[in-house]
Amino acid sequence: MIGMGRIIRSGERVALSHYHLDAEQWSAMLSAPGATLPLMSCWADDGRAYVLLLEGDRPLLASTSVEDRRYLAPSSRFAGAEWGERVAYDLYGVEAMDARGNGAPALDEGGWTSTWPLSSRPGPAAGGLRPLAGSHLLRPEQTGLSGPLEFSFDVLKGKIRNVDVCAGGAHRGVVSRLLGRTPEEAMPLVSRMTAGGFVAHPLAFARAVAQARGLIPGAGIRDVWMALLEIERVSLHLFDMARTARGVDAELLATHCDHAREAIARACAEQGVSRRLMDMVSCDGFREGLEIVPLAQAVHAAMQPRLAALEELHRVFAPRLDGFAVLDARLAERFAVGGVTGRASGRSMDMRRREAGMRLEALRATGSSQGDARAREGLRLAEIRDSLKLLERILGSIGLEDDEPAPDRTEEGIGVAEGARGDVWYWLRLKNGRIENLYVRDPGVALLPVLGAMLRGYPVSRVPAALGSIGLSPAGIAL
Amino acid sequence: MKIVSRTGPLSLLHAFMDATRSRAVVDGAVARRERPIGLYVLETGGCEGCFMEIESLNGSAFALEQAGFVCVSDPADADWLLLTGAVTRVCAEMVDRVWRAMPPGRSLIAVGACAVDGGPFPAGYATLGGLQALTPMRRSIAGCPPSPEDILRALQELAQA
Repeated sequence: MIGMGRIIRSGERVALSHYHLDAEQWSAMLSAPGATLPLMSCWADDGRAYVLLLEGDRPLLASTSVEDRRYLAPSSRFAGAEWGERVAYDLYGVEAMDARGNGAPALDEGGWTSTWPLSSRPGPAAGGLRPLAGSHLLRPEQTGLSGPLEFSFDVLKGKIRNVDVCAGGAHRGVVSRLLGRTPEEAMPLVSRMTAGGFVAHPLAFARAVAQARGLIPGAGIRDVWMALLEIERVSLHLFDMARTARGVDAELLATHCDHAREAIARACAEQGVSRRLMDMVSCDGFREGLEIVPLAQAVHAAMQPRLAALEELHRVFAPRLDGFAVLDARLAERFAVGGVTGRASGRSMDMRRREAGMRLEALRATGSSQGDARAREGLRLAEIRDSLKLLERILGSIGLEDDEPAPDRTEEGIGVAEGARGDVWYWLRLKNGRIENLYVRDPGVALLPVLGAMLRGYPVSRVPAALGSIGLSPAGIAL
Repeated sequence: MKIVSRTGPLSLLHAFMDATRSRAVVDGAVARRERPIGLYVLETGGCEGCFMEIESLNGSAFALEQAGFVCVSDPADADWLLLTGAVTRVCAEMVDRVWRAMPPGRSLIAVGACAVDGGPFPAGYATLGGLQALTPMRRSIAGCPPSPEDILRALQELAQA
């Protein structure tokens, strides 16, 4: 019996973790006996369809050719592939055969200047906006999220039975704007993918670029990147905690989160960097003039004394979050839900653990794995404590050497960063030093297929509070 | 902020006192108005950074209401529409819907580079590229993203003008 991993590795190796499969091998992969490797993402363009899988904690990328604008649907095996197949149809007009789901548009709600805009053969514009199906709608401005995401629901006796999402309002055509640029030209835009990852997105991108170029960043750069990521984690966890707290009228907890987040922003500004650490990461390091030691010390000093109050207030208000918006452990595993939401449901995935030079002793956060809003809030708090410990460890041994060998230069790379809201992935291929192809996976995408189960049985009026507790970013999902 | 370092029955009271003691205040004189200016905030397709900074401004660390403003959740209660993000083609309808729901005397203010001219997201197949290209722009707040202090200061200047 040949497992999925071996079938993929029987294909042609085209990059460090990338195997190209012929149609027969692709079909065999999708019907391979035994365990299904966790799917991180699925996408397709005019030429190829891709699935990014995890084998252990290592990425494994499989691709196959798209023939006559069609390919065998990964969703026939990987339930989480459906969103990527719908996006690929909207952008490139390539069709997934034997796909599960209703095939409704993911991004193209009408109103674009062309159909299949990234295809080599785009079609004429479809005209006006298409109304969403479903008996109840939650308009983009009513979701309580930071960006436009439209929900439609099937509701029976006032309770949600089914959910569909369309992210067209937040789609800005980011990939089309990045193709053809050098990585250095692309970085300012990558740094503005989503405010839910001003550090995580450019960091994952920089790691993918380094792998494509056959480079390993030095230990000093690696540690600066780690420290920036932890500062961002603390700040965003506080933002999501405040939003969750306000969803259940825990205003006092939200107030303390607001003050703590603002104290971090001010500490950053006083150290001469942007409040939310925008434009700090570059392809080969970090912004000139960034002094990571005083920055990390200032953030640590601003945050550490506030933890006791936050923990006490969390204890007081946490019962209000009991059993709210539960994500079942089985679904978290099946759809590879990452970040706090996945870990609070018992999926023990944290991509920081595989990083070279990581001070593993600092990553101790454990807590409830009930999968509800209380577990998520408690875990955010625990992770803030861990982040401060990690900053201490990094400051204590900054630039500690590690024996990680540089990969061969293949002009293709995969990068990942464990952001505050989960694992951010970038895949890119360079040609003559410019981006020939690129794919971005924000952790919010993994949440879309589980929303129906999380929201089932609640009235539509409770949806904003539930969405707030999982830290969803429409900008990251739609790009 | 004095920090609560103890636990137990009194900790909640101390946390409340801390939050009260550190309540944000507005610098300088504030023009008195009969009622606060209602702000409705709408994100129309950016990175969400400006929207989140306005959310911070509307949180407890800033004195938005002392400065004479209040964020509202219904456009019918709003005087000013604060728009963040490049305007995507799909969101144009939402902007129109919200604008028409606002009462007469309404104003439109672009917050951040994307809302002004598209910033890194100029006009494309999915975006219209900011308000500057769509409507005469008299009120805008620059920055990528502007800080809550920048936004508040600009709002106060606009209110005085």
